[in-house]
Amino acid sequence: MSAMRRPRWATRERLAPVVAGLVLMAIWEIWVRATLPDFVARPSGIVMAIPSTVASLEFWFDVAATLGSILEGVIIGSAVGVLIGVAMGRVREIDWFLSTYIRALYALPLVALVPIVILWVGYQPAARLIIVIISVFLPVAVTTADGTRAINKDYLDVGMMFGARTRDVWFGIALPSAMPFIVAGIELGFARGITNAIAVEVLASVKGMGMSVFTKSNELNENASLVYVVCLAIFAVGVRAGMIRFRHWLAPWYRGSH
Amino acid sequence: MAQHQSFESRLARFRLVNAWWIRPACYAVSIVVLLAVWQAFGHSFGVLFVPFTETMRRLWAMLQSGPLLPGLLVSSKLYFVTLLINIVLGVGLGLALARIKLFAAAFEPYIYILYATPTISLVPFVSVIFGFEFGSRVLVSVLISIFPVLLGTLEGARSIPRQHLDVAAIFGSSEAQLWRDVIVPYVTPFAMSGIKQSIALSMVGTLVAEFFLNPDGLAAVLLQGTTIVDSGWVLAVTVFIAAIAVVLVGIGELIERYLVRWRQQAVG
Repeated sequence: MSAMRRPRWATRERLAPVVAGLVLMAIWEIWVRATLPDFVARPSGIVMAIPSTVASLEFWFDVAATLGSILEGVIIGSAVGVLIGVAMGRVREIDWFLSTYIRALYALPLVALVPIVILWVGYQPAARLIIVIISVFLPVAVTTADGTRAINKDYLDVGMMFGARTRDVWFGIALPSAMPFIVAGIELGFARGITNAIAVEVLASVKGMGMSVFTKSNELNENASLVYVVCLAIFAVGVRAGMIRFRHWLAPWYRGSH
Repeated sequence: MAQHQSFESRLARFRLVNAWWIRPACYAVSIVVLLAVWQAFGHSFGVLFVPFTETMRRLWAMLQSGPLLPGLLVSSKLYFVTLLINIVLGVGLGLALARIKLFAAAFEPYIYILYATPTISLVPFVSVIFGFEFGSRVLVSVLISIFPVLLGTLEGARSIPRQHLDVAAIFGSSEAQLWRDVIVPYVTPFAMSGIKQSIALSMVGTLVAEFFLNPDGLAAVLLQGTTIVDSGWVLAVTVFIAAIAVVLVGIGELIERYLVRWRQQAVG
């Protein structure tokens, strides 16, 4: 009887998140209405704030500034990370030489680098770009080095037999076979880059989405602030999902860590 | 071409013969180069960049009679509370989600969304509701650093082989026995590798919470140096934080090494 009324795609597992989401939203809405001041963000308020927020020019400037800077940083950071990573993976002396710096920087929470970067480049968008580049460069260099170090000996032997030069080995054999590692590194760096870009915006008062989350909130425009948060979340989740899909397409056998 | 090959082979021979000292030499050279460059450039940028020796002198002075140790004390409290909550709540929630399937199906998407969302952007919302005090700091810090423990435990609990649970059921184990003999031993290494990551990540959480909710602890000390444009101050504190971070990562690696040995013994 119930099977007839419920369509086949509506399994318990698929309905559960929808129901849970609605319940969470309802609790949030009722709780804020019942116990907290009127300006505190709640789901209905956020939905109502979407048109006016998205219609403003300022919103699109913020989106362009933040996402543009993150993308630029990801591209530069990945390129530098891959180059240095291949060198580290193929020449172990370079690996040993650079690993001191890279391990120390990798251990350090990058938020702690923001003040010194602000001191050097000022309260400028360049500070955000530099931090994003470092955020992406580190994991990409490490994963590229891991990937190119562990290439199959047979590939190298065949390469040698056909007279491969060093640069053929680096960019023709090592790099392609390390591709899934590199993508995993970019994935991790991208996520950190988004977080750290927002950290710089807030600490250095650089205009962008993260900064607006805080300024809107200070103006007691909490719902608009949350619209920015939702956009950032959509971007972050989208990037993650996209990178995972790209990696599966590139190398179905590789299972990265989260 | 021939010359190219002979260079490669000569290099290979050199590496083979001198293998015992090349590695420590590389480490030593890298540190010497770093310090030399730092020292040399330190003099040429004036107030924006102070030399290595000056940084160390400042660090020493700040350790003896400065804000560094009081700041560290404040930060440590937040750090250890965060880590404790991550372990207790992360393992607990992970196990609960693994045991109650519908629960997991319902909430997993939201856990991943929360994980991907930059936590810093949630700070204003958190502070409007919970204020700027210790509780809010703990919440922000935990939101940044709990996920490796939670997701690691969940993954471990899910990967318990069906046969283990079946055998336990056939021998009529009670729920308590099932936990003691099957679930806990199986999940422990997974949870521990999450905890290992969380040891380092809790420090990130601590700093972020201190930076963005009315500055406090080491983060406040760091920001103070930026406000008064004192690069010696900022560099000294950054080096201090880096040293702590390296120690925490080292502790995590020790735990992992211990775990690997423990796992090998358990299997073999």
